[in-house]
Amino acid sequence: MSATPTLLDTTRSEWLKFRTVRASFIGVATFFVLTIGLAALITLVIKSNWSQRSAIDKLAFDPVTTSLVGVFFAEFAVGVMGARFVTSEYASGSIRTTLAAVPRRVHLVIAKLIVLFITFVVLSEIVVFAAFELGQAIYKSGHIPFATLSNSTDLRAVIFAGFYLTLLTMVGFGLGLILRTTSTTISIYVTLLLIVPIIVAFLPSSWQNDISKYLPSNLGRSMMSPDLASQSFSWGISTILLTLYTAVIVGAGTFLLTRRDA
Amino acid sequence: MLKIEHLSKRYGDTLAVNDLDFEVKPGVVTGFLGPNGSGKSTTMRVIIGLDRPTSGRATINGTTYGHFKAPLHEVGALLDAKALDPARSARNHLRVLARANRIPFKRVDEVLEFVGVASVADKKVGGFSLGMSQRLGIAGALLGDPGILLFDEPVNGLDPEGIRWIREFFRSLAKEGRTVFVSSHLMSEMAVSADQIIVIGRGKFITSGTVDELTSTATGTIFVRSSDPAKLGQVLRDANGVVEPLHDAGLSVAGLTTNQVGDAAFNASIRVYELTPQRASLEDVFMDLTADSLEYGHKVTEVPS
Repeated sequence: MSATPTLLDTTRSEWLKFRTVRASFIGVATFFVLTIGLAALITLVIKSNWSQRSAIDKLAFDPVTTSLVGVFFAEFAVGVMGARFVTSEYASGSIRTTLAAVPRRVHLVIAKLIVLFITFVVLSEIVVFAAFELGQAIYKSGHIPFATLSNSTDLRAVIFAGFYLTLLTMVGFGLGLILRTTSTTISIYVTLLLIVPIIVAFLPSSWQNDISKYLPSNLGRSMMSPDLASQSFSWGISTILLTLYTAVIVGAGTFLLTRRDA
Repeated sequence: MLKIEHLSKRYGDTLAVNDLDFEVKPGVVTGFLGPNGSGKSTTMRVIIGLDRPTSGRATINGTTYGHFKAPLHEVGALLDAKALDPARSARNHLRVLARANRIPFKRVDEVLEFVGVASVADKKVGGFSLGMSQRLGIAGALLGDPGILLFDEPVNGLDPEGIRWIREFFRSLAKEGRTVFVSSHLMSEMAVSADQIIVIGRGKFITSGTVDELTSTATGTIFVRSSDPAKLGQVLRDANGVVEPLHDAGLSVAGLTTNQVGDAAFNASIRVYELTPQRASLEDVFMDLTADSLEYGHKVTEVPS
């Protein structure tokens, strides 16, 4: 009889699962096109009407954040991919085949998390650096102030933009573990990132300031911008908070998986 | 050895499995027979750890399934042939399972060949017929060369040739000393494919035994054809027999032996042309046993107009 499978075996199995369906590649392509394409589009628009900007506008111009604007669209692509890594198994029923092969459910979740984390940390960093470099090249060609990675604050902003997307992949995955259907998971995910901030905007401004800095989208903004907005947490605190949210969501999903019938 | 130990499973208000307690022995094909909704699939799901029992447990060689690190080497199960990601190829589906249980990829090609789906191994399983999916599911069950095999309604979707193949396949698995546990709601199927049969209804154990044992416990009837069926019928009723007239001067008699029927006819001077004991079919036995426990029985015999 063969040796006992290790976490590495389960992880390799999950990696094989991820890369053997076309949907994964379509998702990754969407992710790349959104982030890099929007970086190109927005920076080109800025370049074309730079001359019409007021002096104050020119002074307030942030070349880093504007080149990373695609991140706010890509966050939906990564969330859906993270969610589908588990919800597609519930949709097809293959979760039962999976659990029959890997009855240690916590072990299974860890293997899936490793695959998602490594895959998406790599992809996200590639994407955000590409978007940043493309945007800066366009600014440079238009003689507009541009940023370089030799500035440590800007470098940090780019790196943590990628990390923000990585964490959101895990948030999508964790919600998928809890909710089990793709459509419900995506609804809740979009609500969290898009609808809740709108609701908060209608609250009295004294409340707003207290609540809005805790929203995942605002934590992301702090993580990926070189300057600190007055009402936000620092990028460090923001990263810790969002990691904490992610851990709680994935933890709750894992707990439910170990309790529920498949 | 597969053991079901006082197993109960409740879903909300429904007690799907009610204190089942039996053993499935190696070396024979054991049939798990019951009407639809009687708890067969639930029992199988608990065995492979998909559902948590409300009380009791199912053990494989003394261990519950959840404790296996490489379960495919212990138990091979085919519960739902369509529980596959339709976008993945057959070969990749099996490779994912093999990888998680440290089974070499060479084995994947072997089992694909064995069940006869090697020619479509690189096609997406979403396009497979139910029969092909069943075969792929069987390949998955065989991956780890396990000592215990579970099949839930395996003949569904198979063509006659496939059914024949699968029966012989179950026999050969049992002959190799494996435990083979096969569920079905079709008694005719169980009669030809199983050595031992466990009958359940509404989640409860009803009876178990070999096909012969089950049919012999049931009271058989006697077919008698005679010169005067009307008179013979009266005579037999007077002798406390239960008589039902059939076509062609025949009577179906229950509650009497062939000797008693022959003697009664002789005494009444009726000529007997044929006197045959009718062996109860497994189907009759099954209907008898589960009549009270049909979850979704036919309450109306005529189509309401």
